[in-house]
Amino acid sequence: MTTIPPILQAEKICFAYHGNDPILKDISFSLEAGESLGILGPNGGGKSTLMKIVAGLLKPNSGKLLFDGIDSKHFKSYPFEKFSYVPQNSELNTILPVKVFEYMNFAKSLYKTHQQNTKSIDELLKLVGIFHKKNSLIASLSGGEKQRVLIARALINNPKLLLLDEPSKGLDSNGQDQLLAIIEKIKEQEKTAVIIIDHNITQIIRNCHKILCLNGNYHWHDHRDLLTKNILEDIYHCEFEHLLIHENDVRNLKEPHTSETHTFCNHDHQHSQELDAHSILRRKK
Amino acid sequence: MNLILNSIHDFTHYDFLIYALLGTIFLSITCGLISPLLIARKNAFMGSAISHSTLLGLAIALSIFSSDNSFSIFATTLFITIVCTLFLAYSTFRQRLPSDSLIGIFYTSTMALGIIINSAFAKNKSDLLSFLFGNILLLTKEDLILSLSLLAITAPLIILPFKKWLFLTYDEEGAITSGINAKLFHYLFFILLALLIVTSIKLAGTILIETLLLVPGFFALKFATSVRQTFIYSVLFSTFFAIFGILLANSFGLPSGATLAVVLFIALVLSLLFKKIYTLVKSY
Repeated sequence: MTTIPPILQAEKICFAYHGNDPILKDISFSLEAGESLGILGPNGGGKSTLMKIVAGLLKPNSGKLLFDGIDSKHFKSYPFEKFSYVPQNSELNTILPVKVFEYMNFAKSLYKTHQQNTKSIDELLKLVGIFHKKNSLIASLSGGEKQRVLIARALINNPKLLLLDEPSKGLDSNGQDQLLAIIEKIKEQEKTAVIIIDHNITQIIRNCHKILCLNGNYHWHDHRDLLTKNILEDIYHCEFEHLLIHENDVRNLKEPHTSETHTFCNHDHQHSQELDAHSILRRKK
Repeated sequence: MNLILNSIHDFTHYDFLIYALLGTIFLSITCGLISPLLIARKNAFMGSAISHSTLLGLAIALSIFSSDNSFSIFATTLFITIVCTLFLAYSTFRQRLPSDSLIGIFYTSTMALGIIINSAFAKNKSDLLSFLFGNILLLTKEDLILSLSLLAITAPLIILPFKKWLFLTYDEEGAITSGINAKLFHYLFFILLALLIVTSIKLAGTILIETLLLVPGFFALKFATSVRQTFIYSVLFSTFFAIFGILLANSFGLPSGATLAVVLFIALVLSLLFKKIYTLVKSY
């Protein structure tokens, strides 16, 4: 019996911006068809960098990306047809007066000649609940509406994998919940695998099959069963900073718990002398 | 008014004026097509750098050929300008650092080098100055063919992949990950710009061509409410006021490049003023 390869597999991805310390170190994960991966972590942790590497906008310093089991380097050009990428809406150029249907048309026009299984613009705008704004200028839409348009555009070629970079950025909690509900609907209806970067911890834990936590050199993944909202809040608000304290202590040849900054530590987890994010995440009994 | 009517009469009777009028129409249509893209892609300064780097090309050309050998001067200037443009395009493609400083350094340096070369080697040192501000009345039949060819090359390259240009301009990362070759379009845009600037030297000069490249797009982006409208407004504005400027320049014996620049600027200011007044009146 032949096994179906993962839709996306990352193997030991490393990346450093020119002249800087590595921001991603040996990142590995895999994603099966229809699965979802939530990427969490503080700002500057490498979440968007990893997303841009998967999207082919940045090249990793080392490591492999396999789409449907095939190394991306073995494709003639980067396999953009395997996924759709939705950047943060702040990256849109607002100088041109682009209307919703015009923007959708830009993307639609790319697929006409290839006879791909594309969806109609109206159908997609209805799916994301923005059909009533079809003739509006994108610049006049609210943040949540813009994100819906971006997602609708990304679905035009029926991608098997959807990459979403902070789709709920700048939205209030109600807007975030609405948007994430739409993404859930897409996952269910279209059977699309999703990689999503988001700071809405509760929603990510509830909805994603897999979680990847990133903070510079450290990463932690595939232990969704151990995750609770409290632990993730720890990761966000103190744990990653705490890891850096450990790192500095070891670099300075001090025992853990001995630096001045460490005296302020009152976390409810067990300390470890090893620089290992997995063990540091373990809670005190 | 009579002067302008007489000027129109002149344009129908003298070959060199017909060349000037047709050349203006072809070049202003091309500028109108490129202008909104130039502004929306935030490449206005790059356009300025390319237009100033033509001085280096012109200085080298005028050191090798006499000023009446217009085709050789055009070809040499175009070659040097395209080399400079390719360097700039290479240095600015998807860079994390803002490219303003590099462009600023580059264009003042190429201009300075041009002035030194002109001063040291040019056959007639004053020839270079005549290219700074342009003289449409010097347009020859060959120049006309060149500007028509430029329009014939530029228009399809902008119009046929129109949606790709817009997708790349509006959502660059979305467009790249949808399979559009951003690098190809980046280089293509700057080569078209270099071609347009070199071909327009006689119309507006290396310094004043910036007005033709920026004002129509600026006007259109202020007034249009859709993408298609933006490009239509830009081409119409550019063509109408360029023709008006040429007629005015001929009527009053004014320098063509400077007159064009001033006419476009006044038209822009007046239209913005009317828009402001209209908005105020409407709100009451």
